[in-house]
Amino acid sequence: MKVTIKQWNAVAQWQWDTGKQDDATDGEEDVCGICRNPFEGCCPTCKVPGDDCPLIWGECTHVFHMHCLLKWISTAASKSQCPMDRRQWVTAERKVAPSGR
Amino acid sequence: MSSVYMRRLGKELMDIQCDGLPEGVRLLSADNMQSWFFTIQVLGQSLYEGEVFALEFRFDNSYPFSAPAVLFVKDRTYAPPIHPHVYSNGHICASILGDDWSPSLSVTAVCITLQSMLASCKEKKLPPGNDTYVRTAPDNPKKTRFVYEDDTCDPLLCVS
Repeated sequence: MKVTIKQWNAVAQWQWDTGKQDDATDGEEDVCGICRNPFEGCCPTCKVPGDDCPLIWGECTHVFHMHCLLKWISTAASKSQCPMDRRQWVTAERKVAPSGR
Repeated sequence: MSSVYMRRLGKELMDIQCDGLPEGVRLLSADNMQSWFFTIQVLGQSLYEGEVFALEFRFDNSYPFSAPAVLFVKDRTYAPPIHPHVYSNGHICASILGDDWSPSLSVTAVCITLQSMLASCKEKKLPPGNDTYVRTAPDNPKKTRFVYEDDTCDPLLCVS
């Protein structure tokens, strides 16, 4: 039998590598601690998830929507601390590059 | 822009309706996104056994980047607890409502903190300087700059 492919459509799926896939059982927990929107969604000021509304990782391993975190850090009240553990916020460079496609 | 805080509050309200509140805390009303009311009581042995207090949360569009204004209700039905960190006008001196606020905190988290603040109270007494503070206090407790210490409160003169 000879099959001729006349047409094909590629479908791809992506998700942020928050390093939390292992405990998928509590999947509900994957929300930004600041806006409470899912990481796979976007921060409340954006319309489209993805590169335009990326995530940001701290050296402390906490993850947020970049826009949410930057807004917090830009307030004097934040004292530049991570909202989760109050340690001085240091962006983790290793995670900024896209990983795990 | 103001919808940012409304969406976050909407989510909190949904969580409260789905998952409930901690024991001893009940939602009185959340009819709008400006102010919510709760009742709060301390379960188990404490100086406040059998007493029920009401809390008011006031939000503005700086939430959750800035703490909500939280105070104990003082009206015909409810009175603020007599507590070294609670002024008789209902204003509360608690660091998480000021310097130690974090956007990862929530309405529920504030209720739990205040509940444990009451539960751990050793002596029912008003904060030092209560009368002076109450006489001059702004309506919005967030305009008072409190100095947070372990056992005493010290409201500095209100700013702005």
